[in-house]
Amino acid sequence: MSINRLIIQNLKQNVKNYYLYVLALIFSVALYFSFVTLQYDPSMDRASGSIRGEAGIRSASVLLFVIVAVFLLYANRIFIKRLSQEIGLFQLIGMNKKQIFRVLTIENSILYFSSLAFGIGIGFISSKLIMMILYKITGVDDVASLHFSIEALQQTLIIFCIVFVCICFTNYLFILKNTILQLFTVLKSTEHRVKRFAWLEVIIGLLGLLSIGSGYYVSQRLFDGDFTGINHLFLAMIFILSSVIIGTYFFFKGTVSFILNMMRKYRRGYLTINHVLSLSSLMFRMKSNALLLTIVTTVSALSIGLLSLSYITYYSAEKTAMQNVAGDFSFTTEQTADLFTNTLEEANIPFQRIQRDVIYVEADVEAIAETEFAQQNIEEMPLILPVVSAEQVENLDLVEGETRFAGASVLMETMLTLKDEGEISWITPEATIDQHFSGREKTTILSYLFTNGGLPVGIVNQNTFEQLQVYQDEDLQVDYNVFFAVNITNRSQLDDANKLFNHLIDEFEAESGPLSLVEMSQDQKESMGLVMFIVGFLGLTFLITSGCILYFKQMDESEDEKANYTILRKIGYTKHDLIKGIRIKQIFNFGIPLILGLSHSYFAVKSGWFFFGTELWTPMLIVMVIYTILYSGFGLLSVSYYKEVINKSL
Amino acid sequence: MTILKAEKIHKAYGNKFNRQEVLKGIDLAIEEGEFLSIMGASGSGKTTLLNVLSSIDKLTSGALQIEDQDMTKLKEKQLATFRKLHLGFIFQDYHLLDTLTVKENILLPLSIAGFSKKQAQAKFDTLANQLGLKEISNHYPNQISGGQKQRTSAARAFIHQPSIIFADEPTGALDSKAAADLLNLLSDLNQQRKATIVMVTHDMTAASFSKRVVFIKDGQVYTQLNKGDQTQQRFYQDIMKTQAVLSGVPHEH
Repeated sequence: MSINRLIIQNLKQNVKNYYLYVLALIFSVALYFSFVTLQYDPSMDRASGSIRGEAGIRSASVLLFVIVAVFLLYANRIFIKRLSQEIGLFQLIGMNKKQIFRVLTIENSILYFSSLAFGIGIGFISSKLIMMILYKITGVDDVASLHFSIEALQQTLIIFCIVFVCICFTNYLFILKNTILQLFTVLKSTEHRVKRFAWLEVIIGLLGLLSIGSGYYVSQRLFDGDFTGINHLFLAMIFILSSVIIGTYFFFKGTVSFILNMMRKYRRGYLTINHVLSLSSLMFRMKSNALLLTIVTTVSALSIGLLSLSYITYYSAEKTAMQNVAGDFSFTTEQTADLFTNTLEEANIPFQRIQRDVIYVEADVEAIAETEFAQQNIEEMPLILPVVSAEQVENLDLVEGETRFAGASVLMETMLTLKDEGEISWITPEATIDQHFSGREKTTILSYLFTNGGLPVGIVNQNTFEQLQVYQDEDLQVDYNVFFAVNITNRSQLDDANKLFNHLIDEFEAESGPLSLVEMSQDQKESMGLVMFIVGFLGLTFLITSGCILYFKQMDESEDEKANYTILRKIGYTKHDLIKGIRIKQIFNFGIPLILGLSHSYFAVKSGWFFFGTELWTPMLIVMVIYTILYSGFGLLSVSYYKEVINKSL
Repeated sequence: MTILKAEKIHKAYGNKFNRQEVLKGIDLAIEEGEFLSIMGASGSGKTTLLNVLSSIDKLTSGALQIEDQDMTKLKEKQLATFRKLHLGFIFQDYHLLDTLTVKENILLPLSIAGFSKKQAQAKFDTLANQLGLKEISNHYPNQISGGQKQRTSAARAFIHQPSIIFADEPTGALDSKAAADLLNLLSDLNQQRKATIVMVTHDMTAASFSKRVVFIKDGQVYTQLNKGDQTQQRFYQDIMKTQAVLSGVPHEH
C-alpha cells in the first residue's frame, strides 16, 4: 500500500473523529471571512461612520483571529491525542517520524483547506445577512448588497495559513517527543491521579468562595463613594478583577470538589447511579480542568458583561435622548424657537411650546445627603443647581417654602444619593433661603446644556423664584438662562417636524443650542449599534468556540469513561439509568461555568451600568437568556454523544 | 436444585457471508451452591460462554434458564434488572470504578437493588470483615494492591447475595500468593454462603479449587471432571492430565 493510499484510507476512517472539528473550522472561517468582508466593504463607511468605528472593527478582527487561533490549536490538540495510537502503529511498522509527519500533514491539509474553502463560501453568503443585521441595528437605511472582496479573501487566507503552520508545528512536536509506548498509552492516561482529600483542598475551596465574595462585595461599593480619586478606583478595579479570577480558579480547583466531597461523605459510601456518574467524576475532572474552566468562565463573563452594557446603551438610547433634550426639540434662544415654531405653523403641524426661565443658585444639601461620599463631595465644591419656577412646569403645584428636584441622571443619583425628604437651603450672596425638600420628580425639565450633563433641577414656588431672581449671584449665571422646548402634539408628525428641523439647522443661531430627540437617539443608536454589533459578533464567536471546547472535552471524557459504563452495564444498570446520570453530569459540567459566568457578569454590570444607560434589567436579562439558550445547545449535543458511547459500551 | 440450565447453546459472530461459530451446541447444568470451573485454551470459546451465560451477550440459538427464568425471552431492560438482582461479576482486570472508593465500589449493587442505607452498611460491615477490606474501605483503587482490588471486586460480586457469581479469569492479573488467597476466599464464600460460582480460567491451580471442571474445546464441551472426595492435590493432577490430552500432547504414563 502506497503512502498516498494510506492517507486516503486514513482520512475516510477518521472523518467520524473529525466531523466536529471540521464543522468548527468551517464555522470559524465563515465568521472571520464575513467579518473581514464587512471591514473592506465600501458601504461600511456609512455604518461605521467614523475613524473610531473603523478602528473598532479592525481591532475586533484581530481579537477574532486570536480567539479562532487559540480554539483551533486547542481542538487540534484533542484530535491529535485521538490519533496517537495510529501514529504509534505507523512507527511500529517502520515508518520514520518524518514520513509520519508527512502523512499527517497531508491528511490534515486536505481537511483543513477544503474546510477553509467551504467556510469562505458560507462566509461570503452570510456576509449579506450580517450586513443586513448591522444596517438594521445601526438604523442605516440602505439595501445590503453582496461584494466579493479580494482583500478580505487575501487576509483570510493569510491568517488561516498562519494558523495551519502553527498546527503543523504542534503536531510535529507531538510526534517528535513521544515514544511508541507513550503513544499507545496517551489515550488511556487519565488526567487525574485520584488522591485522598487533604485539608489543603478545604482551604483552597473556602478561599475560592471568599475571594469571589470579596470581589463581588467591593464591586458593589465601587461607585458608592468608598473609593475616591482615579487611583483608588483603579486599584479597586484591579483588586476586583484579580480576586474574582483567582477565586474562580480556586472554585474549580477546590470548592467544587470540596462541596461534592461533603455530599459524598454524607452518603457514607452508598452512592446511587446519579452520584456515581456525576459527583465522583466531576470532582476530579473539574480539578484537573480548573485552568481551562477558569478561562472559559472569565471570558464568558466578559462577553456577557460587554454585551449587556452595549445593549443597555442601545436599549436606553431613547430615554437617554429624552433626558438630554427634555422635549421633542429644545432651544436656548427665543429667536430660534420662534423661527422653528413659525415653520411648524406653516407646515400645519400642531405643537406645544414650553418656556422656562432658569437661574443658577448655590444649594446646600448636606442635610439630605445619604452617603458619606455625597457629603464629602458637597464639602469639596459648592453645588450649583439650575432652578425653575413651579409655575412653568406642567402639573406641578408647590407651596411656598417647598423645593423639589427633577431630572437627575441615574449616574448622578448614584454618586449623589439624597434622602427622600429633608431640609435644604438656597444660598445667595445676600440671603440664605431655607426650604423643605419634598422629593423628586421623574420628568426631565431642562436639556443637558443646562444641567451640566445630569445635575438635578430645583423646582420652587413662584414667590421663592422671584426672591431668588432678586438676590441672584451674577457670577453663577451662564449664557443660557431661558429654556425653550417644542413638543409635537401628534406623534405621527414627529418625523416631518424633524425634517423641518434638519432643514432649518443652518439658519439657527449658533448659540441657540438646537437639540432634537429623534436626531439624538438616532445618533446614539448608530454609534452604539456598531459597538453592539462588534461585541455581539465577538461574543457569539467566543460562545461557540468555548461551547465547542467544552464539548470536545466531554467527547474525550466519555472515551475515558467508556470502561466504567461497561462495568456499570454489566453489573445491571440499564442504558436509561446511565443516561440519566450523564444528564445530571452535563448540567453541572456546563451549568457551573455558565452560572458562575452569569453571576460574574451580573455583578460587573451592576457595579457600573449607570454610566451606560437608564435601563438595567430588561436588556441584561435578554442578553443572559439568549446566551444561556445557545450555551445549553452544546450541553444537549454532548448528552447525545454520550448516548452513543453508552450504547456501544456493552 | 438446578439453578442454571443451558441447552444446545450456539453463538456465532459475523454476517451471512463471513460467519464464525464460536459456541457449537453446549449443554450445561449448574446446581445451586456449586463451584464450577470452565477451562479451555485461548479461542476455545470459554469467555464467550461466560458472557452468554451471564446474559451480557445474546445467544444465537438454544435455551438458557436461570432460576426457572427463560433468559432468551427477556428484553434488554429486563436482562439488566435480572443481572442486578441475581448475578454477580468478578473480572480479570477488576473493573473497579477508579473515581469511587473501595466502599463505594462494593456498595454499588446494593444501591441499584434499592437496599436501605442501614441494611447496606450492615452487609458491608460483615463482608468487609471477612475479606479484610475494613482498613482500606476509604481508599481509591489506585492506592491499593492488585490482590486488594480483586478482593474488592469479589466483595462487590457477593454483597447482594446473588444466585450465581460469574468470575472471568479472576486470578489472571495476580501473583501466585494473592491468587491463592483469593481462591481460598472464593471457596470459603462458596461453602459458607452457599454461593454458586462459575469461574472461567486457564490456570489449572485455580481450577483445582473448584468442585467441578468443564473443559471446552472448539466451542463444544470436551469433557468434565468432578472433584468428589479427592484431595485438591489429586484433583489438580487429574486436571493436568485432562488438559494435556485436550491440548493433544501425549502424556507419558
